[in-house]
Amino acid sequence: MNPLLLQNELNRRAFLCRAGATVGTAAFADLLASRIFAASPAPAKSDRWPGVVRPFHHPPKARRVIQLYMAGGPSHLETFDPKPHLAKLHGEPMPESITAGQPIAQLQGNKALKCFGPQWEFKKAGQSGQEISEIFPKLAEHADELAIVRSMHTEAINHDPAHTYMNTGTLISGRPSFGSWLLYGLGSECEDLPGFVVLLSTGKFGQSQPVSARQWASGFLPTKFTGVELRSKGDPVLYVKNPRGIAPGQQEDVVRAVQKLNQLQNAVVDDPEIATRISQYEMAFRMQASVPDLMDISKEPASALDLYGAKPGDGSFASNALLARRLAERGVRFIQLYHRDWDHHGSIKDHVRGTAAEVDQPMAALLTDLKQRDMLKDTLILWNGEFGRTPMAQGNGRDHHQKAFSIWLAGGGVKGGVTYGATDDFGYHATVDRMHVNDLHATMLHLLGIDHTRLNFKFQGLDMRLTNVAGEVVKPLLA
Amino acid sequence: MTGWSKLACPAAFVLFLAPDAEGAAAKTSPANAATNWWSLKPIVRPVVPILRNSKTEIRNPIDAFIVSKLREKGLSPSPEADARTLIRRLHFGLVGLPPAPEDVEEFASTFPASPRPSVPASSAKDAETRRHGDAAIERLVDRLLASPRHGERWARHWLDVARFAETHGHDQDRVRENAWPYRDYVIESLNADKPWARFVQEQVAADALFPGEPRLIPALGFLAAGPWDESSLRDIREDTLDREIGRYLDRDDIVTAVMSAFASSSVHCARCHDHKFDPIPQRDYYSLQAVFAGVEKANRAFDPDPAISKRRADLRAKVVALEKREPAFMEALLTPAMQADVEAWLARELAAARLIVWTTLTPESVTSLNGSKLVPHPDGSVLATGGRPEKDTYTFVAATELRGITGVRLEVLTDDSLPKKGPGRQDNGNLHLTEFKAGAAPQSGGEPRAIAFQNPLADFNQQGWTIQHALDNKPATAWGIYPEVGKSHQAVFEFAAPLANTTASRITFVLEQLHGGGHLIGRFRISVTTAPRPLSLPVLPDALARLASTPPADRTPAQRQELAAHWLKEKLTRELAAMPKPQLVFAAASDFEPDGSHKPPMGPRPVHMLRRGEIGRKLDPASPGALDCVAALPARFDLAAEPDESARRASLALWLTDPQNPLVWRSIVNRVWQHHFGRGLVDTPNDFGRMGSLPTHPDLLDWLAAEFRDRGGSLKWLHRIIVTSAAYRQASNCEPALSGAAAVRLTRNSKLTHGTMDADNRLLWRQNRTRLDAECVRDAMLSVSGQLDLTTGGPSARHFALGPGIHVTPTVEYSKFDWDSPAGRRRSVYRFVFRTLPDPFMEALDFADTSVSTPARAESNTPLQALAVWNNDFVLRQSEHFAARLERETQGTGARVKRAFALALNRAPTPAEIADFVPYIEQHGLAAFCRLLFNSSEFLFIN
Repeated sequence: MNPLLLQNELNRRAFLCRAGATVGTAAFADLLASRIFAASPAPAKSDRWPGVVRPFHHPPKARRVIQLYMAGGPSHLETFDPKPHLAKLHGEPMPESITAGQPIAQLQGNKALKCFGPQWEFKKAGQSGQEISEIFPKLAEHADELAIVRSMHTEAINHDPAHTYMNTGTLISGRPSFGSWLLYGLGSECEDLPGFVVLLSTGKFGQSQPVSARQWASGFLPTKFTGVELRSKGDPVLYVKNPRGIAPGQQEDVVRAVQKLNQLQNAVVDDPEIATRISQYEMAFRMQASVPDLMDISKEPASALDLYGAKPGDGSFASNALLARRLAERGVRFIQLYHRDWDHHGSIKDHVRGTAAEVDQPMAALLTDLKQRDMLKDTLILWNGEFGRTPMAQGNGRDHHQKAFSIWLAGGGVKGGVTYGATDDFGYHATVDRMHVNDLHATMLHLLGIDHTRLNFKFQGLDMRLTNVAGEVVKPLLA
Repeated sequence: MTGWSKLACPAAFVLFLAPDAEGAAAKTSPANAATNWWSLKPIVRPVVPILRNSKTEIRNPIDAFIVSKLREKGLSPSPEADARTLIRRLHFGLVGLPPAPEDVEEFASTFPASPRPSVPASSAKDAETRRHGDAAIERLVDRLLASPRHGERWARHWLDVARFAETHGHDQDRVRENAWPYRDYVIESLNADKPWARFVQEQVAADALFPGEPRLIPALGFLAAGPWDESSLRDIREDTLDREIGRYLDRDDIVTAVMSAFASSSVHCARCHDHKFDPIPQRDYYSLQAVFAGVEKANRAFDPDPAISKRRADLRAKVVALEKREPAFMEALLTPAMQADVEAWLARELAAARLIVWTTLTPESVTSLNGSKLVPHPDGSVLATGGRPEKDTYTFVAATELRGITGVRLEVLTDDSLPKKGPGRQDNGNLHLTEFKAGAAPQSGGEPRAIAFQNPLADFNQQGWTIQHALDNKPATAWGIYPEVGKSHQAVFEFAAPLANTTASRITFVLEQLHGGGHLIGRFRISVTTAPRPLSLPVLPDALARLASTPPADRTPAQRQELAAHWLKEKLTRELAAMPKPQLVFAAASDFEPDGSHKPPMGPRPVHMLRRGEIGRKLDPASPGALDCVAALPARFDLAAEPDESARRASLALWLTDPQNPLVWRSIVNRVWQHHFGRGLVDTPNDFGRMGSLPTHPDLLDWLAAEFRDRGGSLKWLHRIIVTSAAYRQASNCEPALSGAAAVRLTRNSKLTHGTMDADNRLLWRQNRTRLDAECVRDAMLSVSGQLDLTTGGPSARHFALGPGIHVTPTVEYSKFDWDSPAGRRRSVYRFVFRTLPDPFMEALDFADTSVSTPARAESNTPLQALAVWNNDFVLRQSEHFAARLERETQGTGARVKRAFALALNRAPTPAEIADFVPYIEQHGLAAFCRLLFNSSEFLFIN
């Protein structure tokens, strides 16, 4: 971390007046008014945040991250964690030795807890023979690219806190999310788009709880590291379109006049806050042009649309996956795709297949597409939910489960064809090579050229970091 | 991984183990630190520094503290800001709205025209001018503090700290219809300048400490203002581990809120282990949990009128005494006066032929057509069990000795085994009786002859499913009781002709239930009567009806008591029902209407210390108390003999507000300071512990705290002394010359300035320049456009369209709101705040995250904020209204530019500005110009 840089960029209350100058309002106004329209706007100087990790702590393998966030809690038992023993015990009472003293969410009523066998078959795929559920036939073709982790666990049993845990590494509110940390650490490569972009889609099968915008908030980091949600329906960014009745030229005039006003004020009072404000207005104005262009996937060739199964403007996960590639091409550092369709409390057999079908082809397409563009090698892909689902039945579905769930990684620096960690025979507890979310974050930062113990921010007198006091790089996942 | 498991600390609290130098240094044992930490030391009023040969102005003791600190560093304060800057600063600071142009003019005319150097008066004339200026400021401050707008402005600051929002948050973010009375309570309290101790006490224990003032109950909204996990606390079974965890977490929210808001203490960090940095053992934390063990967050009923409140409480107490059959109360039922009332009532009922004796029939057989298992019970009722068919017909056969039966009563009864307790078997507790038929035959044998029914009556009829449908011979219609499920019901059918039997008879009843979907009777009982027709629904339980029909002289005293008790209960129930409806506030409550499995606690629940905060590791039970580290006060409350939970909260309220408690007084003066200077003397207003910051001016903080406490805790006194100080009145945009040692160093290092020596302005050598917060931006736009509606109080203005969501959380569409509707014009403090679905415009302007206490707003600067202020519908609409106002009020473009500047920026435009903007307006229109002003830094910032 460069202290001088922080001093200048982050200490937003620092307010360095000109020595000895006492500028009264009238004088200020004179200065301001006489020059509003006198000169053409100054060319916008680059105000890109360069990042505090300079140089890299070690050579990076990945330059950007695409996170495929399966919100709602995908069942590990129907996706990446085959459990033949549980299948045999289907309908039998769950042994109390496993569940005694455990929070069991909303499983209620007078009924005993019963085992609920995996609803789909697993198949060995690729050279590596990775076991992947039959509901992911296309993804299975990329089995040798994937590092599957079966031993994740979390501390939260409801969606919102579990998302917080996954994004920030803690249950405490007000901490920065992974994307914010990454942007703070590595900076942005992009002049006209935010460095941390979030896209959301909803499917047809689960209870699609909203995901709070707090999940991509910058917490105690400056707000410029907050993720920006690009909405795939309506205005991609709130208020990004020119308002009705206002022609683009007119809009630009207003923008330029505002910029001039603020620049002149800046010249007088030299307040870094005004300077930031000017740069943010510049970014906003550039986004008015760049975002609609980015979001318009109708210009993609038919072959690309077919590969993903995307239809322009449908707001689907497929369209978002294609957008993720476009964002990656444009230099966005962290791209987070939420698909909110995985909360399968009932009818899990049909619903998990339905939801898997919504993401299977687009995920495979993204891997193929990035590979074809030679971008997979430096793009880190993470597939995860916020928790898993119970091996016990909840009617014909499964409830939230915090003690075990599965994720996978692929791309930049990840060792493909690997399965890491294991759960017990029921898929209840992660038992072998347990992997904490702090370990996941440490490993991802490692691939991005960052030592997780050295990406710090001073907050309330302490050097805070994404991985708290824990986190270990999981070497078996590294290529 | 190994590193993690070794630590074995739940992630929520790893914050306090961060392994850096400061952390390691602070890991001394709590005991050593107890009395040494600045915020825990008793408040001793510091001596006000005497500044000799001061070249700077000392208006009040605040300045003495500030200037002496500046002098130590060789710094000096800035000159006073000009009149326009000051009035704008004071208006936004004290009432949150811009001054009207007329106010600015008036103020400027009584205030010295040019910025004056902040040096003491050197001549009589100078002193005279200065007195005029001070008088002008004092008049202005008094006027603003007396305005009802003041409470609205400062209530919002407090509501941020109180984490107030009007929905539950969490996964099931349901609307709270009754949260707003707390907001009005805060506004009214601040406008009334309620003493701080009293304000704190009311929010923690108004019910216990001020029982004679029930209008204060909304104060308890503070405790319930935070999130509430509906799925864990209402929807799951009460006896689950998850429910118990949910309760600990909910009390954690309350404890955290109380201790951070009132005492600036991060006691919640001691949930899992003794506080790592502050002298707070885990036991203290759980003692605080125990304080709130008898309340839940719920809709609490109250009667603002003390007379009505007392009457309702008296009536309720009598009902409870009756239900408990309290001996003294039962004795009083035998007084002659009471008995006379009872006899008169029975005589009236007898005269009206409403005291019918019903005889329960015990079934000889009861059968099901479609396989329900019908089990007779000793009380004559029949319970349906086993598999539930879609449709069914029950046949009930019973013998009776009665002659001349005139009618039958069918009771459908609740039972714990039924869904929603029945009385139906459908999932929602409902039933549908399609047809009810009967036939009678002599007991000796023979074919039953059909009995015709007439005049059916039921105590409740589902809309469209009335009791008449049970006799209409139509298979598609039936009697139902939804939504009155979970309660027993009854129906009475007259025989068209009394049964003309001379011997014992056998009667067969057929209950056809053909609606389908399992709408079947779960439990029922059949009784008959020989009372003369017309028959009515019973007014008395069967046993009492039988008693009532015996001559009074034959009744035992116990029987007379029972009749009187019944009569009195009915009377009390009627009187309660006739009272005005109580008001509701979402607040901490020990008594409330149950909702699902969310039920009143009936006394404090046991609270245990939890090892590492884990529910499976219970340690000793916790007893109510507060912080041991506040040495002057006992840490545990002596309440062993006190069953009433509210005594616990009362004890905490008194502990908090004790003059010897050093935390509370420091906490509030720091918060008020913070809002006037953009930052507190301690810039972690919710944490005065070791994790927080140190005070920049400890003596000033203590002087303010001591004065504030000893002058009765008047916030308006505090505002007045702060905003009339020279420190507050400084300019924000200039830099004074260095003095003393710094000036000497300056000669050697020309880069040495106030800006380099104290870039952060921690020592207050100038005022801080701040951006308007979200409410001020919105309210200022409404004020300038002439649209602001100053109506006070009441249910919140909803700036969105509400629709049904997929699960519980509704959909909330802010873009569909019409900004010209009346709700759009209210002040922002009256805006409905949705916890997880915030208004994107307000959010872009850094509105508080209401899931936690927000002691200070962020002041962000993002492209989204820029886009919002540019293009948001509200801003565009107000720009148009602003333009229309200018057109209405003035003629000519030049005059309009002047008026616009006066309204929006509180200053006159320069001739050059007029010259620039007139053609601009002619090209783009007046509204575009107004939009430009709303986007200017000068509008959005306070100097």
